[in-house]
Amino acid sequence: MDVASINSNAEEFAIGCFLSIKTTFGDEFKGQVVAFDRPSNFLVLHILFGGGRKNVRILKANYIKELAFLGQGDDPVDLSKCCLDLSTLQAREELALRQAEAEAERIGVGVTAEAQNLFDALSKTLPVRWDKTVIVVMNEVRVNSPYVPESVSGGTPAANERVKKVLELERRRLHARGGP
Amino acid sequence: MIDAVGGLSGENLRGKGLGEPVPGSNRGLKSLLRMSVQQFAQPNSSANGYGRREVEREGASRVDNKLHSVKSSIGKMANTHYSSGNKFGGFGGASRDRLVYFSTCLIGHHVEIQVKNGSVYTGIFHAANVDRDFGIILKMAHLTKDMSAQLQNTHTDSLGKAFSKTLIVPAKDLVQIVAKDVSVTRDEISNEYQSERQRELLIDSYISRARPDDMERELKPWVPEDNDPHCAELENLFDDHWKRGWDQFEVNEALFGVKSTFNEELYTTKLERGPRMRQLELEASRIAKEIEREDTRDLHLAEERGINLPESEDVDEETRFSSVYRGRVADDSGYEEEEDILLDIRNGETFDDAASSVIEKVFSGIAGGIDSDDSLLSSRSSMDVPQVSQSKDSANALSSKVPDINDRLLLPDRPTTLSQSDGEIRFQRTITDPHRANTDTSDGDQQKPVPHPKFSGVLKADDSVSSSGGHDDCHNGDGKGGSSSKVTTSTSSQVSMKEQSKKNPTGDQLETQGIPGEKLSVESHGRPGSSVSSTSDRPGRASASAGAGLTPSSSVGSLSSEKSMLNPNTKEFKLNPNAKSFVPSQAPVRPISPVGDSSFYFHANLSGMPQMHGMPVGVGLGPYVAHQPVIFNPQVAPVQSPQAYLPPAGPHYGQPMLIGHPRPFSYGPGFSPEMPYKGREF
Repeated sequence: MDVASINSNAEEFAIGCFLSIKTTFGDEFKGQVVAFDRPSNFLVLHILFGGGRKNVRILKANYIKELAFLGQGDDPVDLSKCCLDLSTLQAREELALRQAEAEAERIGVGVTAEAQNLFDALSKTLPVRWDKTVIVVMNEVRVNSPYVPESVSGGTPAANERVKKVLELERRRLHARGGP
Repeated sequence: MIDAVGGLSGENLRGKGLGEPVPGSNRGLKSLLRMSVQQFAQPNSSANGYGRREVEREGASRVDNKLHSVKSSIGKMANTHYSSGNKFGGFGGASRDRLVYFSTCLIGHHVEIQVKNGSVYTGIFHAANVDRDFGIILKMAHLTKDMSAQLQNTHTDSLGKAFSKTLIVPAKDLVQIVAKDVSVTRDEISNEYQSERQRELLIDSYISRARPDDMERELKPWVPEDNDPHCAELENLFDDHWKRGWDQFEVNEALFGVKSTFNEELYTTKLERGPRMRQLELEASRIAKEIEREDTRDLHLAEERGINLPESEDVDEETRFSSVYRGRVADDSGYEEEEDILLDIRNGETFDDAASSVIEKVFSGIAGGIDSDDSLLSSRSSMDVPQVSQSKDSANALSSKVPDINDRLLLPDRPTTLSQSDGEIRFQRTITDPHRANTDTSDGDQQKPVPHPKFSGVLKADDSVSSSGGHDDCHNGDGKGGSSSKVTTSTSSQVSMKEQSKKNPTGDQLETQGIPGEKLSVESHGRPGSSVSSTSDRPGRASASAGAGLTPSSSVGSLSSEKSMLNPNTKEFKLNPNAKSFVPSQAPVRPISPVGDSSFYFHANLSGMPQMHGMPVGVGLGPYVAHQPVIFNPQVAPVQSPQAYLPPAGPHYGQPMLIGHPRPFSYGPGFSPEMPYKGREF
């Protein structure tokens, strides 16, 4: 790139300026430039909402389709506060990972939304897990697609009955709510 | 690789004409990054086929803390740069640094990334390669919006949320990263983390996994937080179940089809629900309150009741809350005695007032020596059980029962005369009246009871056993007074009352207990030191227990106020040496009615018989012959003194008993000494 474009880029992406951007994918947003990394061409923006919440967008400048300069502001980042505690971050990551893993177990892969809803409803009172597309209750009762009371199999008669009953109730409730 | 990387970045910087030399620290930072990169020459295998193209800097976990300090210096530098007004200069470095900073802020955060083809992935930000172009790694990522050609028409049915454990996105495919609610300062981050952490449900394996070096964690006592809204629920956690409006059985049945087969009556006494119930309930709760307010020396009980006992030094937490206190056995027994007495009295009090009033009527005539007393008395004795059990019924029950008594009094296989036999229960009436005292033996037997129309064949023992009719009144519920006599049916009911005349000496004894000139019923205490029977209210029922000193004087004292309700017509018991032992066919060991349990003790009165030591004090005579298993052990054998030998089954009052013929009595297991006072009758 020639200096001019770089300069212009630099100018436009001055820290603190407010921009309105439209990406090549059609996303539109307004934000304040917090950082711009020329080598990688990444722009870091703060998208501010009311109430002190802010979203951070790291956007590759190549994908900016439209850009509008809204104004210039101060550097929103208070650099004196900018230090990071790596151990906290690490811990946060681990926490998030744990939660995500737990979540992942609860989501069936390749199952319909209805099935997932049923699973979630069952999991409120029974220990359930996914086994491919089969809901396994209490490790003994299996519910196959299409997850109707007839498709409940296995387990002791009492457990089987119970799962059937709960399944039926949940189905009715979901349908009553206007579910799928 | 390293050089290339370094060189590349260097070139880039220069190429972009930054114009200003990259500050040393920046370089330092980069070299650090390079170093870390070097460590991980091979990135994790890609889970989704993106390939391992980038040498990624592993997340913050691997970067040493130098980065931390470097960053702060970077921050300062960026300031410097900025303030110097040089927008160009140092931008590369400063901006890159900022980028680095912000991407580090995102570590562990949920982000959405958009890739070249428009698809959006959601995952946890793990690492970014800030050295080269900005490639990133996500963990636990899944496709949120799929724009790839083949799945353009996404079936709404299928969620297709496959989770990739690690997702590597090369820089050239990355379009943007969106992270919501990011904290960019240290405080914010730690706040966010803390609040997240509190909400997480940690299980032990998580914790131990995270800190493998810790073998043991230091335990800290839990302190509830004041502002935690959840804690408030603990307050009403154990609210009375009826207030909560929730029946677990109903809910269980409705939700899961589980039917409850619980029947309370299988496990406890069947309660008679009728008009009497309320009264009894009130009475019971009154007694319960009394007990609960009782003073106690026992640490645990005191704790329960909220009484603060002065504690000695050696009382530690364990002693206070968990251990079994084994001290002061002697005290316990004494206490128990008292308690028993009290209990007995209470039992009597709780009893059906109506019945007791009837009883009172019955005995009111005794003093006057009404004959009818006999019958009534006897009926009472035998009745006791049925009466008691139906105490809740109308008071008239008593009278209505009278006719039945005869039947009941007699054992099934028993002839009208009680005398012989097989250890039948001999009912004796204690005769309270002095002038009845002379009813004697011989004639007394047949005559006394006989004249009563109601009790014709009832009581008789050849040896002039006067049917005592058991004053088993166990619970007479009359609030009359202390004496309670427990009638235990054992065969020779004898116990009860003997004619006073012959018992004068005993009578004296009895009288000392406060029964003026009346015969006292003999009561044998069911167990050593056990309290007298409850019916304190019984008028005239004095229990003389003296004798072997088995009854605590206190108990006796409590009874003293009662007037003797002895039937003047009763005959004294005469031991029948020819009597056979009674062996019940298949009667249950326990007394029939739960109510009657243990209340029908008859305390073998030893008043007249000072030598009765040999006798097992716990003579339990069931209220009724017919219903009691009457098995007698030949325990009586040794007692052969011509004096007042009181056969275990019955009390004798100073009567010259036919001691010469000890009867082979045997006591059934249900009887005393083992026959314990079973506590409250209701």
